[in-house]
Formats: sequence, C-alpha cells, structure tokens
Amino acid sequence: MLFSPDVEFCGYCITHPSESKINFRIQTRGSLPAVEPFRKGLNDLMGVCQHVLDTFEKSMRKYRAQREEEMQ
Amino acid sequence: MAAKRSTDEMRERVVLGEFGVRNVHTTDFPGNYPGYDDAWDPRRFEEAFRVDVVREEDGLLEFDMVGIDAAIANAFRRILLAEVPTMAVEKVFVYNNTSIVQDEILAHRLGLIPIRADPRLFEYRNQGDEEGTEIDTLQFQLKIKCSRNPQAAKESSDPNELYFNHKVYSKHMTWVPLGNQTDLFPDADFRPVHDDILIALLRPGQEIDVLMHCVKGIGKDHAKFSPVATASYRLLPDITLLQPIEDEAAETLQKCFSPGVIEIQNIKGKKVARVANARLDTFSREVFRHEGLKNLVRLARVRNHYIFSVESTGILPPDVLVTEAIKILMGKCQRFLNELDTVPME
Repeated sequence: MLFSPDVEFCGYCITHPSESKINFRIQTRGSLPAVEPFRKGLNDLMGVCQHVLDTFEKSMRKYRAQREEEMQ
Repeated sequence: MAAKRSTDEMRERVVLGEFGVRNVHTTDFPGNYPGYDDAWDPRRFEEAFRVDVVREEDGLLEFDMVGIDAAIANAFRRILLAEVPTMAVEKVFVYNNTSIVQDEILAHRLGLIPIRADPRLFEYRNQGDEEGTEIDTLQFQLKIKCSRNPQAAKESSDPNELYFNHKVYSKHMTWVPLGNQTDLFPDADFRPVHDDILIALLRPGQEIDVLMHCVKGIGKDHAKFSPVATASYRLLPDITLLQPIEDEAAETLQKCFSPGVIEIQNIKGKKVARVANARLDTFSREVFRHEGLKNLVRLARVRNHYIFSVESTGILPPDVLVTEAIKILMGKCQRFLNELDTVPME
C-alpha cells in the first residue's frame, strides 16, 4: 500500500501488547474511497505470495533435479 | 554521475559504518526519487524476483530470496516460527508414576518431544472438548517398569548391566489408535521423530504408566508446537575495495575477514587483494580496527537479497514448512478480504 501513488498516509499501531488489536489508518489523496487501496493492497499481497510460492516450488524442483543428475 | 551512484547506494545498500549502520529504512516510495518510477507494479516485481536454493541436507534448507521487501521476508520468518501448526503432546493422564521425576516435569518433557505426524491430516480440537475425537487427537502410551537383572555380576556397578529398562527413551512411546484411526491412516506410523530422546531414569521397582493426548497447535500458543528448530535470515554482504590494496596490507585485509572472502592474487610480482566471495563473511568489522585499512573498504549489505536458513525439527521437511508458511499468509489476506466484503461500510 505504501507503494501506491494515491495513498497519502498509511500506518498502524498496536493499542496494547496484551490485546491482539491493531489500529490501521489509511488516508488517500483526492476523492478515492479509502477502502480501495486497502483492498488493492491485500490483493497485491496475495499475488506476491502466490508468485513467491510458485517460484520457490520451481526452484526446489530445479535444485533436486540438479542434485539427481550430479549423483548419477 | 556520482550523485546517481550515491542515490543508488541509498536505495539498494545498507551501509555498515564504523560506529553505526546507515540507510537502514526502505526509502524507494513513489515520489521520493525524481526520475525513478516506484509505484507498485506486479509485473516488475515478478521479473525482478527470484528464489535460489543453495543447500538442502538433513532437515536444513538454505535458500536466497531476491527482490522482496523486508516486511514480507520478516513475515515469512515469523510465521515459520509461530504459526505453522504441528502435533504435540498436550494432555498427559498419569496412571502410575513412582519414578523420581515429578508428574508435571514428566508431562512438560513429554510435551516437548517432536511427534512425527503430518498436522495437515488433523483438525484443531474444539474449545472446551475434554475427550477428543479421532480427527483431532493422537493417543500415545508410555508404560515401562524397571527391574533388577538376576544375571548381573556381583561386583558390577554399571547400571546397564545391573538393571533392565532403567533408561526411558522416546522409543518406548507407542501409538494407541483411537476409534477408526486404523482405517483412516492405514499406512501411518505415528511416533516421535527421534527414538533416543531420554525422558527419565528409573531404578528397580519404579514404573511409569501414562497415556498422552497429542493435539494440533501453533507456536504462538506454546513453543512446543513450533515446527522449526530455528528459522532465520540475513542480508547478502557486499564488500567493495575503494582502492587497490597490495602486499602487507593485503595480507592484513585477508585476516580481517572470514576465510575465503578475500583472495590474494599475484599480479606482476605484487600481491593484490580481491574480494572472492563476500557471501561467506560474518561481518565482524575487524577491518575498522586498523587505521590504514578502514577507509579503503566499504562494508554494506544488499537491501533486498535475503539468505534464509530454515532448520526443521523433523516433523515436516523444511521446504514443506516454507510453502505452508506462504499459504498461511495468503489465508490471512483472504480472511481480511472476506471481512471487508461482508462488514458494511458507511
């Protein structure tokens, strides 16, 4: 969310360490409703995680295939 | 040209000075640097991102993640430590314990033993459910009695010869299937990961008879549920020699760093130092203690290159743990998105 040019302010704070609550504040420039960058941020994060997962699995397969070849 | 280099340095490197670390925070937000387009672009991220597996042996996985932000790398590390679920002993029903180890100490030790059971096959136990059902509980029994060996020599003082069963190991724990677990898991072999964990010591006449219930839990609740021995990351070191360093200074420089980092080459009869493999260095900053060398070397770390090291306790292989951690982060995002859609906003 910090990397979106529409977001004017984005931050969080924890009200008290014993309670599991986080206060999240997003402020947008102009007329965009604040929920939008939040939603977009979550979707982008999901996309990042999915890509990380795919790349990691591909790398593991490649590494294991390479090791099989070296053993033979 | 120099200005561009220094902004690149500020964006991409964390510099280790003599008395402190500079450029720690991420600064490449949109609008901060004129001439750079920093707005989030998934395609640019995907092109720049890569994962390289360096080493996999014996439950230890070392891999590099390049092109990711610190917050996300840290999130993976924290999830690996605290939120990937495993099965561990939670309730211990003590029928008989005449050993010298107190009940609660014995129960604590049993809880910390890693159990080889894939947590994805089980559900979390419902709150308030004391009995446990076959989809959320694994039952183990430990029943052992120490006795004297009648064949032992008269003068022997070796406990291994004198007594039977005086050492209680984790291999003495046996799985007791509940309900239809034998049908649900026909090929499964649920037991502790290691057979040689010493639980207690006994002498003749003492016995331990306990029944244990294993449940699924996460590390945040109790550290016994953490699936990793440890999960850590470090940033890739980057050592630059600002001027050529020769002869004796080169030898001193080589000794300042971990072995293998600095290599001395023989060019036209003179010994010249060269950075061979900065990755091996542990950054003890020994070079700052030498007046002549400290201004000739720049110690830095590459900001978005993370060298992860994940060591598993043996319950699940480390690469499975990493994939589970990433899926858990995705699950959290999804839950948030669902909340956003269902809760009405004014």
